[in-house]
Amino acid sequence: MTIFEAAFGFGLVSMSVIAIAAVGFTMQFGITNMINLAYGEVMVSSAYVAYSLNRAGVSIWIGMIAGGIFGAVFSFLLNRVVYAPFQRKGTSYLGMVIVSLAISLMIANILLPIVSYNSVSYAEHAGSIIRFGGVVLTVNQMIIIVLAVALMVGIHALLRYTRLGKAMRATAANPSLARNCGIPTQRVIDMVWLITGALCGVAGVVAALNSDSFAIASGGGFLITALAAAVLGGAGQPYGAMIGAVIIGLMTELTAAAWSAEYKEVVAFAILVLVMVLRPQGLLAKRGALAAAG
Amino acid sequence: MVTRPAPSLRADGITAGYGGVPVIRGISIAAGPSEIVAVIGPNGAGKSTLLKSLIGILRVTSGSVFLGTDDVTNRPPEELARRGVGYVPQVNDIFEPLTVLENLHMGGYLLRASQVQARVEEVGQVFPALTPMLRRRADKLSGGERKMLAIARVLMLDPKVLILDEPTANLSPKLADSLLREHVTRLAEAGKAVLLVEQRARAALQVASWTSVLVSGETRLEGRPQDLLQREDFEALFLGAGPSGPARNTVEEENEDR
Repeated sequence: MTIFEAAFGFGLVSMSVIAIAAVGFTMQFGITNMINLAYGEVMVSSAYVAYSLNRAGVSIWIGMIAGGIFGAVFSFLLNRVVYAPFQRKGTSYLGMVIVSLAISLMIANILLPIVSYNSVSYAEHAGSIIRFGGVVLTVNQMIIIVLAVALMVGIHALLRYTRLGKAMRATAANPSLARNCGIPTQRVIDMVWLITGALCGVAGVVAALNSDSFAIASGGGFLITALAAAVLGGAGQPYGAMIGAVIIGLMTELTAAAWSAEYKEVVAFAILVLVMVLRPQGLLAKRGALAAAG
Repeated sequence: MVTRPAPSLRADGITAGYGGVPVIRGISIAAGPSEIVAVIGPNGAGKSTLLKSLIGILRVTSGSVFLGTDDVTNRPPEELARRGVGYVPQVNDIFEPLTVLENLHMGGYLLRASQVQARVEEVGQVFPALTPMLRRRADKLSGGERKMLAIARVLMLDPKVLILDEPTANLSPKLADSLLREHVTRLAEAGKAVLLVEQRARAALQVASWTSVLVSGETRLEGRPQDLLQREDFEALFLGAGPSGPARNTVEEENEDR
């Protein structure tokens, strides 16, 4: 097993984690026009919810479900109580970005006295080892990969085949026309926050599980990687975010193998900056917000 | 005296505008079953503003809108869709990233799942040209196909009232003529009340059963098209230039400006 084969294995896990996070993030932007910079801190909060259960002896996978539920409810309330009222008042894009940045700082500072700034780790056995040729993965890593694939297929099916998913795409493409069709866009947007919030919560737990340890300060790194994958794929495009996650996941792990793990987020950020310079519309931008896959 | 059907949709002295500045003032208009009511007037007369205030996109500050005998003033657009008002905006009239079929599904969002397919087929009979392109992405359609899809989308709910904002705006004169003469006329014959805003005044007058001329946010003149066309001051009024208006051929020019 070479170091690059190992890096490829880690890359598969990283891209799975990033895909779950980035698809939620990009759907929030694509459908509700919200660049939610508090996304990373919601991920961290959800990771702590799973941590508190895990410390009480509950399996991390049950903790992950709890983290997903927490993320869903938290994100839904965040939109209802903070973002939606500002948007109704006609706050600009930039204004909304600053509002979400403020929320991000508030979450971090509310967490601080509760969990302190020290790093923590889940107490979870990594499970036995599975080999695929030169690639070695633990059972937990396999579960993360399978989970991510299942969630991506689920999101695809939701957007493509269900009435709610099509209403989400219609609301993203043309909210005023959606209302003229009788689509209750307010309820559709509530559902978007619940679903993307659940993705955010689950992503937080698997991201924490995939790192050796995590802390409040991890939120920034979580956000940057999700943001980089979303922007690389074309902001607001779930399929683009999936492709972006594959690229960012592989690149960061290969850099870690060839260079140093310390540079993972630097690489993600460098890719983000490069995309902004070379192809600001992202890889899939031509397909339009939440486009049909055909 | 002309007898008109009891109105399906009626506006009674409505005033509306943007940011507290009224764009239309005290406008009354009505459309009944099988009527085509054309609202014409120069650019900036407030024609689109009138339609938007009828369907709940824009707030009415005084006056009332009735659907049959029900007061629906300032009800949200979702509710008007549910109550049988179909609105086709001038631009952004379809969901571009969705396929033609998905656009129709969204038009039929309020239908029960079991009804949707049958309704898609019925609407396909109204616009047979759309049937072979159901799987195509809506932003790949030509101007004429696009407008047909936009109208087909609102027909999914079989509305009693159809409100069309400049349906011919981006079409060639030939396509515009066929849209108005064939499709719009046929929809009215099927019993729908059609309220239509048009830049192509002459084309609109040929299909309309009642016409309202809007100038500077107020109703300047209304009546049967043939009566309006006989008035010597009609073209001057239409252009909003008063009795000593520009030379005669300007209405034609106005018609050609798109």
